[in-house]
Parts: sequence; structure tokens; C-alpha cells
Amino acid sequence: MKHRYPLLWLALHRRRRMLVALLIGMAVFETLIVVITVTVSPQEIFAGGGRQPPGAFKAFSGSTGDVSIASYPGLLGGGLVHPFWIALQLTVIGSLAAAAVAADVESGTIELLMVRPISRNRLLAERTAALALASVALNAVATAVVAIGVVLSPRLHQAVSLSGVFVAGLLGLAFTLCLAGPALAVSAATSRRAYVIGATISFGAVGFAVNFVALAWSKAAGLRFVSPFHYYTPGDALAHGTIPWGSLAVLTAVGALGTAAAFRLLARRDLAP
Amino acid sequence: MSDSAVIDVGALTKRYGPTVGVEELDISVAAGEVFGFLGPNGAGKTTTIRCLVGLLRPTSGRVRVLGLDPVADHRRLAPSLGYLPGELRLYPELTGEQTLRLLADLQGAPTPRRAELCERLGLSAADLRRAVGEYSRGMKQKLGLVQALQHDPALVVLDEPSEGLDPLVQETFFALLTEATAAGRTVLLSSHVLPEVQRACGRVAIVRAGRLVTVQSVAALREARARRVRLTFADGAGPRPLGAADAWSPHWRGDRVELLIPPREVVGALRGLLSLPVEDLTVEEAGLEEAFLDLYRTPTEQPEEDS
Repeated sequence: MKHRYPLLWLALHRRRRMLVALLIGMAVFETLIVVITVTVSPQEIFAGGGRQPPGAFKAFSGSTGDVSIASYPGLLGGGLVHPFWIALQLTVIGSLAAAAVAADVESGTIELLMVRPISRNRLLAERTAALALASVALNAVATAVVAIGVVLSPRLHQAVSLSGVFVAGLLGLAFTLCLAGPALAVSAATSRRAYVIGATISFGAVGFAVNFVALAWSKAAGLRFVSPFHYYTPGDALAHGTIPWGSLAVLTAVGALGTAAAFRLLARRDLAP
Repeated sequence: MSDSAVIDVGALTKRYGPTVGVEELDISVAAGEVFGFLGPNGAGKTTTIRCLVGLLRPTSGRVRVLGLDPVADHRRLAPSLGYLPGELRLYPELTGEQTLRLLADLQGAPTPRRAELCERLGLSAADLRRAVGEYSRGMKQKLGLVQALQHDPALVVLDEPSEGLDPLVQETFFALLTEATAAGRTVLLSSHVLPEVQRACGRVAIVRAGRLVTVQSVAALREARARRVRLTFADGAGPRPLGAADAWSPHWRGDRVELLIPPREVVGALRGLLSLPVEDLTVEEAGLEEAFLDLYRTPTEQPEEDS
């Protein structure tokens, strides 16, 4: 069979087992979150003793507004900013961003690819498309599981609208694209896949830590604007069901700028191990 | 540049930060030529080749391949190019068939010679169904040759092409080279396997430490360089002073000594040597290997070139 997009096919084909495992992992994890959310009343967790959770805990519910983790949207949002969810997303981003350029340069296979009549832009475009497709699939699985849970549980459906679930999924995709852009730029500039994976993990982990510190410590509140988790707010989306256009625009713009930088960097570099 | 030059390199310099890959390199390869590119590891052969196929951007100098800039005109040049990297890296989880199909898809051209090449190089259908990760080095090299030639390119650039090939397959490889040149194709063959270059190439460029040492025909290179002089002494006294001939690095084995003497010095050296008790004497033309080593031992300031 002739492949119309051979570079895209190659990136996904080589990682197909890992991607399937991640998709199954995401489905199982979000199922657990939904089941736990349905079976445990939020009031039993924090409000039973008359206490409210600390404000910084909003970081764990995916909110920058008024959504407490001691609520159904907060608990479901927690499943969409949980370290396990982040780890799955970063694995996809790091792996496929590294595969865009750096992994082929490091292994030397770039020599076979780039002596063909294909442009560097096409190489990066197909590899970016592979990353985007994998991210869409991962977020679609998470969104579908939460949506099914909301549909099947009247208690959840009362607190969370389906449109809120889909907005949260959309934000999740924008979040992954936000991290993917800079990761692709690192891949386009370096010859080591470890640098790309390290940078991707740093973007995610440091971003989460900065947002948490900004929520917990008022003097550092301004730092929240440099974290993607300030704009990625699935808890708010689940609670209100409205698209936060500003946040969506910031996440998308960062991703687009990073991707544009990747194209520029790739056009100028040498392509050899 | 000559109008018929398929490869035209002028004052090519490629630096990696402070490290010099190649410096002020000049090469011209005519259509239909099998051109050898010789040098030890780190001499700059692979750097030059990567500049020719558009993987590296020259720091300075001129590179034209088939009249095109390999980087700026890459998409116009690549359809006419067949390339075998020196360190062939393949995707280990793809089968041989998938690898060839992938590279053909990227080439975007028909592959009229694939089946014939696989058959002649001994890659069976069963081999092609196996994952490349299970291939021996020789099989990978065969696959590399097939992918470089399957679309019948006008210019074939081969970096260490016979590495890992068994003697029978090497014969097939040389036959393919002969057929390619007979069909008007141009071949650039980089190697440190001297007999390979001696057999396949009409002209050869030798590079050392990133600089061109000489460009000559293989025959002229052999002719211009050392003569191997072997002497056997009759008196059983073993190694001894050879007078002026001691300048030619005598290699002693008992009463026998071997020297590599430049052609113009042979007669003078023999006059002095024959005053010694010589029992037997042979003078023969050094092979390319000796010529090659001689060039590496003797720094050359200006590259020589014959027409």
C-alpha cells in the first residue's frame, strides 16, 4: 500500500504499541476517577468536619476561579489535571516531539529521509500532524469516558453538563498543543531526543509547580500567568460549561508560536548525526 | 566549472564551531565518471558528501550538483540522487519490504529496478518480510544499495558501499557500478578500501585532515608514487646502514629489506645499494595502497591535479 503521508505514518507506526497502551491507560484512569467521584460524596471528603480545602487545592481541581475540589466538577477536573493524566500527556508529547526531528538526527535515519525530494517543512508538518493526532486521540478518550460517566450518573449530570465536559476536553487539547509547540522547537534545534523529552517534562512539571505556588502564596500570584495550568482550567469548564476564549487563545497561541519557531529553526540547521 | 560537471565543488569549507570538517576543497566530477573519494577516518569525506546531498550547509564555498544547489534546490535535485550513507541506519522494527516502500514513497518515483536489484544482491522475499532489526550487517548494506539504486538515479553517491558485503555480493556490486556508468550514470564512491577504489574508479581524490591532497587518475596516482624495492643480501649479516637509501624507511626482515622509493629517486638509490653485497633485487610498482599511504606520510601544500 502506498502511503500518502509516509512521515506521519512512520511516526505513528513506530509508536503504535505505546500509543495504544497510553490510550487504554487514560481510559482506565478516567473511569476510576468517574467511579470514585460517583461513589464518594464531595461533602464527605472535606466539608464533613466543617473544614474547607485550602485555596491552593484549586490547582488540583483545574480551577482558577470558584470551583473547589470538594465538588463534582472539582473532582472530575482533578482527574484532568492529575499527575497521572499529565504524565500520559507528556509521554505522548515528549515521544512524538522527539520523533519529529531530533530522534532521526540522533539515530542517523535522517540521512535516509532527507535525501529524498521532500522539504524540511514537509518533514516537520507531517510529524506535527502525528503529534496532534495522538494528542487528539488521548484527549478524546479522556473526554469520552468522562462524558459517558456524566450521562450514566444522574448525580454527576445534575452538577456537570455535557457541554462542560466537551469544553474541558477542548481545553485539554489546547493544553497539549501549548506544550507541544515548544517541544517541537527543541526537537527542531537539537540532535538528542533526551533534550526534547527533558524539556517537555520540564514545561509540564515546572508549569504545574509554578501555578501551585502562585495559588498558595499571594506574593507569587503574578507567576501564575507564565504557567499553562493557569489557562488550562477543566474544573471551571466542567462547572460552568462555557468556553474560556482568552485561555484557549493563550494556550493555542503559545503552541502555534512554538511550532512556527520549530519550522524556522529546522530550516536553518544541519541535518546530520 | 566545466559544463559537463555533475559535481562541482569550489573552495568548500565546512566548520563545526572551531572544528574544521573540510577546508577549501575543490572537486569536479564529470558525467559518466566513477569518482573515488579516499581518506582515513575524520579526513572530511562524509562531511563533503553530506554537503553534496544537502544535509549540511557549507560554511563557505561553492557546491553544485547537477547544476543545482543541494540545499536551496533540494527538491529539484533529490529525484536524480541515489545515496547510501556511510553509517547506514534503518528503522529496526520495519521489515525490509516496508523500508523500501517507505523510501520509495518519499522518493515519489517509480522503482523499476527494485525486484532485479533484490534478486541480484541476494535479498529474497523471505528476507524482505523480516524486520530489519534481525538483519546482519551485510543484509542491511544490501538493502541500503537497493534503496539507493531502485529508482535508477542519474547520480549515485555511495559512502563506504562494500562494508559488510561478502565477496560474491561485492562482485555483483562492481557489476552494478559498471552497468551504471555504461548507462551514463555518475558515481561518487567514498571508501577507505583501496582495492575497491582501484578496481571501480577512474579518478580519485584523496583528502587528509579536511584538505584535498590530490586528484588524479588511479593509473597516474600509481605511476607517480613509490616503487617497492626489495633487496636480499648474501652475507647473512642482517640489517645494516644503507647510506642515502636509509631515507626511504627500510623495513628489515633478516637479510631482506623493503623500501618504498619515489620513482625519480629509484635509479640513484639503486646505484648506492648495488655497491652492497646484494644477492637478489626486485623493483615493482607500488599498489594504490602504498601510493595512498605515501601521500598521507608526505604533507602536500598544494593539491596536484591531472586532467
